[in-house]
Formats: sequence, C-alpha cells, structure tokens
Amino acid sequence: MKRESIQDVGKNEDVAFGSNAIRLSGWEWIIVAIICLTAFLFAPSLWGQLGEIKSGSDYRLPYKLGSDYWLYGRLCRKACSQYETVLIGDSVVWGHYVPADGTLSHYLNEYTGQDQFANLGVDGFHPAALWGLLKYYGREISNKKVIVHLNPLWMSNRKQDLQTDKEYRFNHPKLVPQFRPKIPCYKDPWSERMSVTIGHHVPFLGWTAHLRTAYFENMDVPAWTAEHPYENPLRAITLELPAAKEDNPQDYRPWTERRMPKQDFQWVELETSLQWKLFRRSIELLKARNNTVFVLVGPFNEHMLTGESPGIYSKMKSGIESWFRQNNIPYFLPEALPSNLYSDASHPLPEGYALIARKILEDESFQSSILSR
Amino acid sequence: MYFHSLPFLIFFLIVYPAYLAVKRTKLRLPFLLAASYFFYGWLNPLYVVLIAYSSALDYWVVKRMAGSRHRKSWLAVSITNNLGLLGFFKYGAFVTDNINLLLSSLRIPYEVPSPGILLPAGLSFYIFQSLSYTIDYYRGNIERETSFIRYATFVSLFPRLLMGPIERAKNLLPQMHKSPRICGGDIADGLSMFVVGLFKKVALADYLALYVNKVYASPDQFQSPALILATFLFAWQIYFDFSGYTDMARGVARMMGFRLMLNFNNPYLAASLGDFWGRWHISLSTWFKDYLYIPLGGNRKGTFSTYRNMFLVMVISGLWHGAAWTFVIWGALHAAGRFFTRELERTAFYKEKVPRLLKQLLVFAFVTFAWIFFKAASISDAWVIVTRIFSSGWADPRCPVLALALIFAVWLYQYSYESKIGWVLELKPVRVGFVVAMILYLIVFAPSSDQAFIYMQF
Repeated sequence: MKRESIQDVGKNEDVAFGSNAIRLSGWEWIIVAIICLTAFLFAPSLWGQLGEIKSGSDYRLPYKLGSDYWLYGRLCRKACSQYETVLIGDSVVWGHYVPADGTLSHYLNEYTGQDQFANLGVDGFHPAALWGLLKYYGREISNKKVIVHLNPLWMSNRKQDLQTDKEYRFNHPKLVPQFRPKIPCYKDPWSERMSVTIGHHVPFLGWTAHLRTAYFENMDVPAWTAEHPYENPLRAITLELPAAKEDNPQDYRPWTERRMPKQDFQWVELETSLQWKLFRRSIELLKARNNTVFVLVGPFNEHMLTGESPGIYSKMKSGIESWFRQNNIPYFLPEALPSNLYSDASHPLPEGYALIARKILEDESFQSSILSR
Repeated sequence: MYFHSLPFLIFFLIVYPAYLAVKRTKLRLPFLLAASYFFYGWLNPLYVVLIAYSSALDYWVVKRMAGSRHRKSWLAVSITNNLGLLGFFKYGAFVTDNINLLLSSLRIPYEVPSPGILLPAGLSFYIFQSLSYTIDYYRGNIERETSFIRYATFVSLFPRLLMGPIERAKNLLPQMHKSPRICGGDIADGLSMFVVGLFKKVALADYLALYVNKVYASPDQFQSPALILATFLFAWQIYFDFSGYTDMARGVARMMGFRLMLNFNNPYLAASLGDFWGRWHISLSTWFKDYLYIPLGGNRKGTFSTYRNMFLVMVISGLWHGAAWTFVIWGALHAAGRFFTRELERTAFYKEKVPRLLKQLLVFAFVTFAWIFFKAASISDAWVIVTRIFSSGWADPRCPVLALALIFAVWLYQYSYESKIGWVLELKPVRVGFVVAMILYLIVFAPSSDQAFIYMQF
C-alpha cells in the first residue's frame, strides 16, 4: 500500500463545519456585536427610566434587597435629587428592629419639621463593605450633606474585624477590597475576585444581578425555576420593585428582656483594625466627592460590657475622636443611651432613635455642618 | 482550566495574539507545545510529565519501527505502554476492588491494596490519539513524523487535549506541517462554534444537571414521573455537555487555524442504532471501528463473528468510559440493541412502513433507557431506577417546564435543520437572531458556571 506523505494526507479533506446552521460571517458578527453592545450599554439605564422607585421620607431599601447594589445606586440617585442630607451606614441606620417610621432619619425629619433626611442605610453593611458600596454604587452621593454612621460593633473582635486567618463567610463579600488590603478571612479564588472586580465596572452586570435579586429571590434563573418549576420566569420580571415590606425582624423588647448576656468584648486595636481603616477610606472618598461629611459614632450599648472591655472601648473611642479632630471631620459621639432603650449591643429601640435624634440636633457641630444653609 | 472559565479567557487572550505573532516563524510549534503543556499543567503539573513520557515513547517506538524487521514487536511496545498507562491509572482501583471482592467471596484473608491514584484528565483521549499514530504507521497508512516537537504538539494540542475529539494523525499532523493561514472566516467560524458550545454547556447542560443530580442522588425518594424525566433530561444533558465542549474545542482550534473533526452530528435524530453511533462521539466510534472492530474481522466472517465483534467493541467502549460495571452493562445493552435492531432493520416492513420519525423516537427511547446505567452511581441504583420507573406511582415530578421547553426548541431546530425546511435556518436574520439570543441569554439568565464537564472524568 502506497504510504501517503504526511504532508499530503488531508490536503483535500473537507472537515465538516458543524451540525447546525449557526455560522456567521465576519460582517454578521459585527452586527451581533453592535446589537449586544447596544443592549449592554442601554438596557440598565432604559430599565431605570421605565421603572420607578416608590420613595417617601421613610423609604428605605427593602430588607430582602440588601444585596441589590444596582438598585442601591438608583436609590442614591433619587434620594440625592430629593433630599438635602443622606444617612448612610449599616442596620443601625437602616433600623433593623424598628419599622420605617421608627428610624433615626424619621425622627430627624420629624423634629426638624422638614423632609430633608433620607435613609440610605443597608442592613449588614460593615465598614469594609460600605467602602465598596460608596466607591462603585454611591457615585451619586456628591455635593451633598452626608451623615455617616460608625458602628463600633464591627471592631468588637477579630472575626468582626475580618482579621481571622480561618475562612469566615461575612456579609457582602463582593463589596470589600478584592485584592488590597488583604482580608485574611476572605479566601475566594482569584478568578472569582477578578469576576467581582469586573462586575463592579460593568453596569450591565449590576443590572442582571438586580434582576436576580429583585425578581428571582436572589437566585439565578435556572435555580429559581427548580424552585418554581411551573412558573414562567419572564412573567416574574416586572417593572415593579418589591414593596418595602416590613419584613425585618421587629422586636421592641430591650436586650435585658431578651436575656442577652453581658460580654467581655475583645476589642481590636484601632491602629491595626481593618474595619476602621476602610471606614477612614470611606470618609476620604466622600470628602473627595465634595460632600459635607458628619460622623455619628454609636452609641454602643456600654451596659453590655464586662471585664476589661469598658476600659478598652473607652480608649478606642478616644482614638476615634482624635482622628476626627486631626482631620477636621465634624462628629458626634453620644453617651450611651439608657439600658432599656437598646434591643441588643448596637441597635436602639424606637425611643432610642428618638433620643439620639434630639441629642444630635442639639450638637453644635451638627448644626453648623448639616443644618446650616 | 475549563473553556467557560475566567482563567481560560485570560490564558487565551495572552496565548492567541502571541500565537498569531509567531505562527510564521520557527517558534510556532515550540510555542504551541509550551502553551499546551501549560494548559494541561494548570490542572496538575505532574500531568505534563505523563503526557511528555507517553508522547516521547510513541515517537521513539515509531522511529525504531522504521526500517526494522521487528515492527510488530515495536507496535506491541507502544500498545502495551499505552494500555498499561490507561490500565494503571484508570482501572487500577476497579481491578483491585473486584479482586478483593473475589478473594472475600472465596474466604481468602488477603486484600490487595488499592492504588488510590487519581485519573489524569484527558488520559483516555490522548492515549488513543497517540495509539492511532503508531498503528497507522505500522499499517503503512502514514509516513513517520520526523519532528518530536511537532509530534508532541499533535498529541497535546490544548483545544482538544482534555475531551477530544480523538484526532487521527492523517488529519491533524499535516495541518501542523505548514504555517496556518488564519483569515477572518476562520475567526468568524471559530467564534460561531465557540458560542454554540458555550450555550450548550452553560445554559443547557448545567441547567439540566440541577434536576438530574437531585433525582439521581436519591432515586428511591422519587416516583416514576420524576425518574423518567430525570433520565430524559440526562440524555440531553450529556449531549449538551460533551458536544458543547467539542464545539468550544473546535472553535478555539479553528481560530488558531486548525480544523478538528466533527464529533457530534445531531445524534438524537438517528433512525437506527448504527446511525446513532455514526453521530455520537464520532471520533471514538470510528477509532474503535478502525482499530478494533475491523482487525477482529468486522462483519466479514459470518453472523456469529459479526455479533461477537460488535459485542466486544461495545463492551470495551463502555469500559473506556469508566471503570465500573455500570459502564459494562451500558455497553452490553447497546450491543444487544444493535443485534436486535440490525435484524429488524433488514425487514421490509421496518424499512418501508415504519415512519422515520417513529424510528427516531424508538432509537432515542432506547438510548435514553441505556443512559440510566451510564449515570447511575451503581448497579443497585440503576436497578432501583429501572424498577421504580415501572412500578412506583404518580407524584408531581416538579420538573422545570423551562428546561423541557428549551430541549424541545433544540430538538425542533435540529429536526428542521435536517429536513426540507432547513434552508430557513440558513437565513441571515435567523442565524444572527439565534446568536444574539444565545449571548443575551447567557449574560442575563445563565449562572456563573463552574460545573466540570461530564466526560472529563473519563
């Protein structure tokens, strides 16, 4: 049998393209690219125009949409266009145990007699996540008056401060710095972190995440259909946002009635605290965007502290105040509320928020920075 | 690294421009080899040692074969080495487990230690590819490849390394002898293949896996409708998964100027089992036909020999897929199916009276039934599934309607493609529309998938 030269064999063979007709020419690929790019660029903003956020003076991001960062961006835009001052922070600002008309922003509006304070708090937003939220989704917060809340709870031990070496699944990992500074307990693979970083810079991806969070119970569509096998996923997508239902755990009992024990909190050193470091970066970011920044610290439930923690906490407060003074940042660090006005270590009851509002309105630095016109 | 992963995207964005820059220089093949070894070593650096060893040995064997009077002995060295590697890594645990089972049943108080070795990804594929070269040379069908770099690149070319197609030397080696001319059409074709493959894998296969895995993990917890639907979905899942990989592999290779063979040709439109095996994993079925079935005598030595050879090929094909008795049963089932249908297809009634659509549905039903043994974790699980399909009562299967709708849409597309109205699918707006729909679906609805490919375990 004549041996075919290896260079000759296969010259005339025609390898079949495929078993379908989906074969595009270069020009057709350009058409596809134009269509997809158009959708990519305009779908999020078009969607934002079509749907409306039902806002009001007591509106806050619905509890279940706490990880809908694209929606938060829209809320920021709306709040900044309608309100003079925005409050940002974690569940203390959002009002974890209280209804929407029991929050700090509500009482500030009530006592000033004006609708000028907007609640842009989000449940579970520790300072490391707050930094990412402001950086990527809070760009609309510029040239505004901003009250930033610092909850000392996030520095109450190494785990809350994200400093443990063992992996710890904390809230909102997509918002923390993915590469620098290094967060020891954050162990997601680099490919996942790169995807997250890319996602922050592509509004379309934020919008698709919004669809998942708002309409598919924070699941991707395939997983959602597994839970709702007979429902049409296209019909689930409406332009209506889920109502701001009061579906947070409202519990008006003081912490003592809930039998929460006193604790010897293992406060971290301020100098090495990751949460404090990223909180400072958030302040700097807000100032760089020409905002008038006012910081409210706590008030932490000091009645819960035992052992050496009261002394260490006191030292930490001094360090915090020192930094604010050195950087000319107006702040208010109220004394602890009466014990029966706390529902846990950091969350006040409605009467607690009312008291904080009254106290803060009396503060001179607050009056000169936030209330002045 | 999987084609649908970020590491691969970064890898390709670096390798592809560099490849275009060196494709007309002497660095072309060394660069391609290095990139392929890097791709393979990403999974486990030791894999590179194995593939380098396998390539080097076969290259050396063929070199020794040239002009030797002991060509058959050299071929035996290659076959022994390749099958030995396969046997050790793939079947070591299976063999020791069964030996220990036999010893235990004979009450012999001895246990052969299990090798506990991990099967290197892609081993089954590149071993067969390398073997095809040595056998083809022995038979005089091809000239010896004189460059080791070229030969090693042929064995390890990264687009097809992990899951095929199992290329023949006579198809792929000549393409490596010249600098590829990559035109816009190649890039357009490659992208088309890749997007189709990506959609099959991420939007379809991984979606169906949600339901299939849930049911097959605990088959005794589900009733007949769920078991039937899970099996039906698995038939499509494995098709989308494997053909999706192949499409992406061919797409990447096409963009680099290489034309890899078609490996799947709408297998669920087959009107006979013979037709099915001409459409499913074509590179493997043709490999077994050329290197096992025909050397055994094929169909040239009477009915008994034909069926014996068919049986052996199908059972060995089953074993190729995995070291478990379920795969042997799967292969044997297909052999039995071939025996029966081969006679049936010779009858005038079947040939002329039975509508083609009915034949296709019958073949699909049989193939789907056989998949039970392919997917089930054990023989007892497979038996539970089979018996419960026929004996357990009704219960709401809660199978996503969207999954069934997508499968129907794909089947309708394929059926139309091979029918008289296939020309409609060739229209530009239709082709463009499908691609836009696939891309937008992938970006908006599909999950970020990190599911491995099913055939990577083989």
